[in-house]
Amino acid sequence: MSELATKLDDLYARFERAITTADDERALDAARVAFLGRSGEVTAVRRGIGQLPPAERPDAGKVINAAVERMEAALAGAVARIENRAFDTELAQSIDVTFPAIAAPTGSIHPVRRVLQDAVAYFERHGFATVLGMEIEPDYYTFDALNIPATHPAREGFDSFFISDSLLLRPHTSPMQIRTMQAHKPPIAVVAPGKCYRRDAVDARHLFQFHQIEGLLVAEGIHFGHLKGMLTGLCRELFGADQRVRFRPSFFPFTEPSAEVDTTCPKCKGGTAACNMCGGSGWIELGGAGMVHPNVLHEVGYDTGIYTGWAFGFGIERLALTRYDIDDIRRFVDCDPDFLRQLA
Amino acid sequence: MRVPISWLREYVDLPRDAHEIADRLAMLGFPVEEIAERPTISGVVVGKIVTIEKHPNADRLQVCMVDAGGETPLQIATAATNVAVDQVIPVATIGARLPHLTIEPRKMRGVESQGMMCSAEELALPAEWFEDGIMQLDATTPLGINVVDLFGLDDAVLDVEVTSNRVDAMSVIGLARELAASYGAPLRLPSFENPGTAEEPAGAAPRVTIESPDCTRFVAQRFDGVRVGDAPVWMRIRLALAGQRPISNLVDISNYVMLETAQPLHFYDASRIQDAHLIARDAREGETLVTLDEVERTLTPLALVIADAAGALGLAGLMGGAASEVRAGTTAIVLEAANFEGVRVRRMSMQIGLRSEASSRHEKTLAPALTEIGAARAAQLLVQLGARAYRPRAFGADLVPAPAIELPVRDVERLLGLKLDATRISQHLERLGCTVTPGEHTLAVTPPAWRRDLVIAADLIEEVARVEGYDTIAAIEPSVPSHDIPSAQYDLETKLAATLASLGYHEILTYSLQGQSVLDKVARAGITPSHDRVEVRNPLSEDQRYLRWALAPGMLEYAARIDAPVRFFEIGHVFARERSVGEISMLTFGFAVEPNDEPAWRDTHFLRLKGDCEALLRAVCGITVEATRDTRAGLHPGKTAVMMHDGREVANFGKIDPRVAHSFGVRLPVYVCNIFLEHIPEYRTPRYHPPSKFPSTARDLALVINLDVTAEQVSSVTRRAIGALCLGVRAFDEYRGPQVGEERKSLAIRATIGRYDATITDEEADAAIGRAIDALREELGATIRT
Ligand SMILES: [Zn+2]
Repeated sequence: MSELATKLDDLYARFERAITTADDERALDAARVAFLGRSGEVTAVRRGIGQLPPAERPDAGKVINAAVERMEAALAGAVARIENRAFDTELAQSIDVTFPAIAAPTGSIHPVRRVLQDAVAYFERHGFATVLGMEIEPDYYTFDALNIPATHPAREGFDSFFISDSLLLRPHTSPMQIRTMQAHKPPIAVVAPGKCYRRDAVDARHLFQFHQIEGLLVAEGIHFGHLKGMLTGLCRELFGADQRVRFRPSFFPFTEPSAEVDTTCPKCKGGTAACNMCGGSGWIELGGAGMVHPNVLHEVGYDTGIYTGWAFGFGIERLALTRYDIDDIRRFVDCDPDFLRQLA
Repeated sequence: MRVPISWLREYVDLPRDAHEIADRLAMLGFPVEEIAERPTISGVVVGKIVTIEKHPNADRLQVCMVDAGGETPLQIATAATNVAVDQVIPVATIGARLPHLTIEPRKMRGVESQGMMCSAEELALPAEWFEDGIMQLDATTPLGINVVDLFGLDDAVLDVEVTSNRVDAMSVIGLARELAASYGAPLRLPSFENPGTAEEPAGAAPRVTIESPDCTRFVAQRFDGVRVGDAPVWMRIRLALAGQRPISNLVDISNYVMLETAQPLHFYDASRIQDAHLIARDAREGETLVTLDEVERTLTPLALVIADAAGALGLAGLMGGAASEVRAGTTAIVLEAANFEGVRVRRMSMQIGLRSEASSRHEKTLAPALTEIGAARAAQLLVQLGARAYRPRAFGADLVPAPAIELPVRDVERLLGLKLDATRISQHLERLGCTVTPGEHTLAVTPPAWRRDLVIAADLIEEVARVEGYDTIAAIEPSVPSHDIPSAQYDLETKLAATLASLGYHEILTYSLQGQSVLDKVARAGITPSHDRVEVRNPLSEDQRYLRWALAPGMLEYAARIDAPVRFFEIGHVFARERSVGEISMLTFGFAVEPNDEPAWRDTHFLRLKGDCEALLRAVCGITVEATRDTRAGLHPGKTAVMMHDGREVANFGKIDPRVAHSFGVRLPVYVCNIFLEHIPEYRTPRYHPPSKFPSTARDLALVINLDVTAEQVSSVTRRAIGALCLGVRAFDEYRGPQVGEERKSLAIRATIGRYDATITDEEADAAIGRAIDALREELGATIRT
């Protein structure tokens, strides 16, 4: 064995010991500097090429470079070993993933508004605009223009809250039919959500204030089948694709023909006597609808020879009670934080 | 209205299943609230008591031989005391099933008993409405026939809801006609021919003077030879099934005819009407009347009465009077079949606080033609009882047939989206009693005399749709024509709600109507309202008397109730009265929170509230609206700011005045922000300003300034002094304390200085900061703290 080889073997053995015993990156680096650094041991060997026996000199550079390569490979291995040790430590960690989450500080939209928004979104997708109105309305908009005669029982102050002889808290969103048709020429396609008031004693099914969504479509060629189509679509949007919708004849002064609209009970899917949501009938009553009464169209100066239309009014609380399976309508105004969180 | 299906079957053939009938009625517009099923009863037949002997071994028992139509009479022992020979009675034979027992052969004290004679209760009829003991059937009833079939005892009773426009259908015939039309089945109606043709004896002919326009028509008819007693069994059973207590034959006939035809009737004892002369008039002020229910009522002219010369005899369409009531000895009666204006009857009924089956029909205004129909049916039943009927005399408006309605055939399809030919349309209308004369493209339709709700073509189209069935109309999504109606207001609310939810606020709903207690709480905190409250005239209770003038009070009540840290918002209308009633849209958000341990001049909660307010407005209007110090009633005077835009108040916010919080019982500090929706500036799309490509430099200044100098003043002076090189100024720390003295505070600001065309040099930055320091010193008296 040549002198240079012996020297390099010895050097390599010491380098290997140094990096094998190194505990962290700093110790490794120290070893690297001591052996491979600018003034390290390898450099010293290179400087000593002149003192080598002449036979060894021509190849000395090549031999040293090979040794350096070998050392660098060993060093890379050592670096990897230390890095992996750090990964292994972290990878050895293990937690109970079923431990309760730390809740995000999110807020929420009231379930009534949420249902309202979903209903509105459905209609907006079909080209309807959304209009809002006032809660105090003159009796003209609440009754007269809607073909509700002065002698109608609803006007006697037992059902509605009156502010003065002619002003009252609107008992339905229907005044928006008149206001919209007065402000715009046909075609009309609007929904009007909003708060309404009726003189109902508060209990599990009633509040004296509630929300309705009014719908009005007036154009050429609009018929009852279109009313069925849109409201069936709405129920499927809100309660699921397999909902069935039933239109029963009814009576409202401002529509003719008129209908009550029911949808299949989403809880029992069609009737079990014990169902607390539908009372066993299998149907949920959503509200009234019908073809706009010609007297209403005449009142706003629309030509009934050209235009027909339909309107509907649904209670939003009822939709929300049904959708979220809520047992008591008063929860909507109690707004218990747990209630809001559950439905958020 | 309670309708025994068995009664309906008299007029129309119907399916067996009560649920099927109920569904059909619902789909005709008459929802069934309840289906009262009848218990199963079988094996009960008509029998006749042939002999009665004492029981050999028991004093309290008798042994009857009963002919139940079989070959041999049945021996039946009974404890009933009302049995007598020749009585016709219901007999439950061996194997019969009654609601609570099955009849088996048995021995009663050693005597074989082959069945049981039944009481009303054993046939599931209300015991208190029928005779005690064994039920008595009419003597002419054929023996051996099935009692259940005879009286329809096993058919369910429907509780049917009738809409106010269809008072004609508050009757068994009315509903039977609807079902017949829908099923396409024939309708079997009784005759409406009045059997009374004779002229009354001299002076006995009833006369009616109508003094009030609210009595539109009055048919009066005299009957002699009346004997007051029980009505026939079949009638009593029908009434009982319909929920109407049988009283006596006359009362029962009037109820029966009302339930059958919808026309209420009244019978007067003819001997108690002075001069056989009735007057329909307004009651006199203070006039008194004892009604049938034995209550003396003092009347006002709002009441419409039927009177004679001596005084009021009854309340028109509501309830008769006790004095002229038919009684045991009555032999001659006058029938009233009258028509009244519904509003008048309703208002009288409400004023007096009395309702009756009759008034529940009259208040919806019946068709005048029903008076004749009702009188005719009553006359037939009275004649069957042996009474002598004189001719009916009608007073008031003549019956004029309604004008024919022009129904363009194409309008049916135009309105319903359902193609029906003229023949089918006519058929449907005729089944409901209309007369139809076909024209070229239209039908001339005369509505039936008993209906007042068919006036225009659309009314007829609804009838066609009902008979055809709403469910036959195909559901089609319309193609909605384009229009330019804006949704801006709704969109704004939606965006506000979404933004606040994302900022961690929960939307709540509070009542718009509040009571005096809320006003008291505000007043107790020393706040006088700037506007009058809007008051409801007819609140249901005192705590719903006033419309809210702001959202915050409701939220304070909410915060007091929750009594824990909570973040909330509400969007709603608030109301105030100035010269007129005002209503505006408002948003209030805020939080109840644990107090921070902070010096008096710092409030981090306030700054967080301000941050949320800025974020919210930026989301909906794209700009940051500047806040300035101000005061607002209800907010802490030192912790209130407002945001103005274009001279209008967009928002005010701050900490709730601790006195107000205390008054509302809120334990935690509450911070709220009130936003006036109508004042929110329209959304302005923000434009992007790219940062300089060259590095900028930040310089911090620690200033000592007077207490009343604001961070905003310092920033704006600094900005102006640095000029175009200023890329931003922001106050980031405030300090007060002994190091700066009582009258001064320390404020730290950071100015970012740079250029868009080159890297800023230290010299430029130093010069800029120098200008700022000079300006701050000169304009705000600031010194630099080192
Ligand atoms: Zn159900």
